[in-house]
Amino acid sequence: MQGIYIKSPILKILIGILATLITIGAILLVAFTEEIRMEEQAASWEGRSIENGAALYATACASCHGVDGKGASGPALNSYYFFTDTGRIQDVEFPGSLRQYVKLTIAAGRPSKQQSQWPVRMPTWGADYGGPYRDDQIEEIVDYVMNWRESALAQTPYEDPWRCFEDVPTPCDEQGFVGLLKRVGLTPEEYLAGLPAEAQPTPPPARPAELLFTEMGCNGCHALTKANAAGAVGPDLDPLPQVAGERIPGMSPEEYVYESIVNPDAYIVEGFPPGVMPTNYAQRMSEEEIRSLVDWLLQP
Amino acid sequence: MSVQQQMREKGPLGMLVALAEDVFTRVTAGIPPGEFRRMLRGEPPGRPNPRLKPHSETFLLHIRPTYYHESVTRWTHTFRLGMLSTYLFFLELITGILLMIWYAPTPERAYQDMIRLLSNVPFGQFLRDLHRLGAEAMVAIVTAHMVRTYLTGSYKPPRQFTWFTGVILLVVTLFLSFSGYLLPWDQLAFWAVTIGTSMAEAVPPQIVGETVNLLARGAPDIGANGLLRFYLLHVLFLPALLILFFFVHYYKVVHFGISLPASEEEVGEDTANRVPADRRVYFLPDVATDELSFLTGFTALLIVVTVFFFQAPLENIANPQQTPLHTVAPWYFYWLQGLLKIADKTIAGVILPGILLVLLAAIPYLDFNPSRRGRDRRVAIVSGIVAGTMMIILSYMGTPQYAVQAAPPVEIVQELMPEEGMGPAREIGYDNLPLGVWRTDEEVEYPNEEFAKLMEEFKAATRKWQEKDPDFNAAVGQLTISQDQPRLKRLDWYITWFDAQGAPGEFSRSFWLHQDSIYWEQYGLKHRFLEYIREFFMSRQEQ
Repeated sequence: MQGIYIKSPILKILIGILATLITIGAILLVAFTEEIRMEEQAASWEGRSIENGAALYATACASCHGVDGKGASGPALNSYYFFTDTGRIQDVEFPGSLRQYVKLTIAAGRPSKQQSQWPVRMPTWGADYGGPYRDDQIEEIVDYVMNWRESALAQTPYEDPWRCFEDVPTPCDEQGFVGLLKRVGLTPEEYLAGLPAEAQPTPPPARPAELLFTEMGCNGCHALTKANAAGAVGPDLDPLPQVAGERIPGMSPEEYVYESIVNPDAYIVEGFPPGVMPTNYAQRMSEEEIRSLVDWLLQP
Repeated sequence: MSVQQQMREKGPLGMLVALAEDVFTRVTAGIPPGEFRRMLRGEPPGRPNPRLKPHSETFLLHIRPTYYHESVTRWTHTFRLGMLSTYLFFLELITGILLMIWYAPTPERAYQDMIRLLSNVPFGQFLRDLHRLGAEAMVAIVTAHMVRTYLTGSYKPPRQFTWFTGVILLVVTLFLSFSGYLLPWDQLAFWAVTIGTSMAEAVPPQIVGETVNLLARGAPDIGANGLLRFYLLHVLFLPALLILFFFVHYYKVVHFGISLPASEEEVGEDTANRVPADRRVYFLPDVATDELSFLTGFTALLIVVTVFFFQAPLENIANPQQTPLHTVAPWYFYWLQGLLKIADKTIAGVILPGILLVLLAAIPYLDFNPSRRGRDRRVAIVSGIVAGTMMIILSYMGTPQYAVQAAPPVEIVQELMPEEGMGPAREIGYDNLPLGVWRTDEEVEYPNEEFAKLMEEFKAATRKWQEKDPDFNAAVGQLTISQDQPRLKRLDWYITWFDAQGAPGEFSRSFWLHQDSIYWEQYGLKHRFLEYIREFFMSRQEQ
């Protein structure tokens, strides 16, 4: 068997030189694109962390803080007051950054339910404090929560879903975006009027009542057959069209339902505790939307 | 001779020339410039051969033979597989030491260090990919080296012990590659190594198995101790072992010479020291030129593949609480994974591989056939081919395709948007995923072609599983894409079906995709470069 082989030393040397040039060329190509690649990678890992944080948030946090972060039985996070430098972080006098505050709160939770109006104490999530999640998972949740910054800071005073914390020195009417304006002596109308024309918020189109019922999280606590909802935390809404008019003497069904959405603790159905239903629906829905939701709820 | 005397005899210029020649001869370890020139021109050496001097002067050349038999210098005789294995080992050593700079073997840091290496170290990804590719190539080439030696019967006397050390080197290479697997501390690493070490647990009797497992993992489960142990195995113990056996192996190779083709050599003949003068190919310059050009060529191939076609996988961070849907061993252990599906852990994982290994190492001492010619070795060659085929079949059985399948809806979502890696849904990218509710039982105009293809795949997967599984009928898939946060979309996969009795079932799974996210299949130049080529050809077609 003769076999295949290159005999000419000149050819071998030429192959060697060519191979060296190809190697150098490939490495130079990497060198020239390395800057872009590293930037892409850095951005990607931030994005990946937010993705993982979103999954953790959905399982651990969304039930209290809301799928959209605008609060339910827990405080709102996707809020102007929460993200702005002069807001929550200043009022609690935390010395570090908001990111550190969020991380500490998630990892260590709130130590006690004393002096808190919230129905559930913030649990400890970090493994260092006896919770279920490792430090890298806590970081991912923090990345996800902090990713609301952009949308939260774009909120108008009316859209800020912040609900008052009663156990801090700041009075309730000075919390939230509206409260921040009050501190400097402005009403929301004056603030909005002061904004340049291009910064004026455009009212979003009204959402249909069926969608509002799930989007506002009503289905989580109330039962309603036409919306496939079976929540048992709050009163059953199926008999509402029949009973709404008889609940409070002298009050029309529309007025009663409207008042119960905007100011839930005004009238409490017997057997249910007060202070459970969020009180910020007036801020989260437009007047038109609330009216349409009331009509829809009263349709048998 | 004193300086003045030299000056007088040669003149100042002549003296400088003599000095330069002297320096040149020192640098080349004994070859004067004139001889070097003749070497380059391909002229025969003088007598006695002055080109042998470097072999006695320098360490690295003294371990190389001064000449080879002409018949073994042909590329198709050995395919240079032994040399390539050695070369890859040193390549791994260099890239490995560089990678160690940015790596700390603790569960808290290991994965973060991978991220930092990829996003913050120039050439970091290149080094990691090259190290990984080199490791896989090394396993393949060492195995091919063994197959070649077996088929040509080169393990026969006097080279039995060379084969034996070779088998040890193969095992060390496999363990070296496998111990590196755990270091990135991702899901892929963690679960492959968990399964690997659980095999050690199956060593009988129980007390031995448990002890071996405890020694390897450092705790009942893999954690900080296990990672440190695998790290030390990978960077210290196994390389040291490999270097030791490499030198034993190499000494034997030089001592007995590379086996000649069967037609030119009888078994037991000492051919290395009895090469006829007219058949000698001297190391300097012929073999050296050949090896250098071959290795530069191989390096170029390796680098080009690393830069354009290969990316080392990196899955999510190791999570002991979450077993991945399909755990996969590295490809060179597929056969073991296949074997484990047939028999239990003790037999398939320990006893059978153990027997195979002993048999493999003992081949030269069991094979009494005195001939190396193919026609005399029919039994050996046929059994070798049978064993090889068995390995391939077992490997196929070990691949994820042959794996135990999960329920159809789980597999459908896994196919389109897997737990780890990219998958078709992430591949089309954030921008091509339109917000809305998309169903497999509807024919609508999709906003873009990429998404239409994805929905086509969704429909095809749903159809495929309905044909495959009688308990999965009238299945409807629904994909809801919503904007969860700025630059973050949420994908809800929802599948409903009826089983054979007509009872309904449903399955849902949510994933998120960020605009900036890239998954490991999309890393770096390879992805961009291929995209660039695609764009280039598309623009050509349009013209």
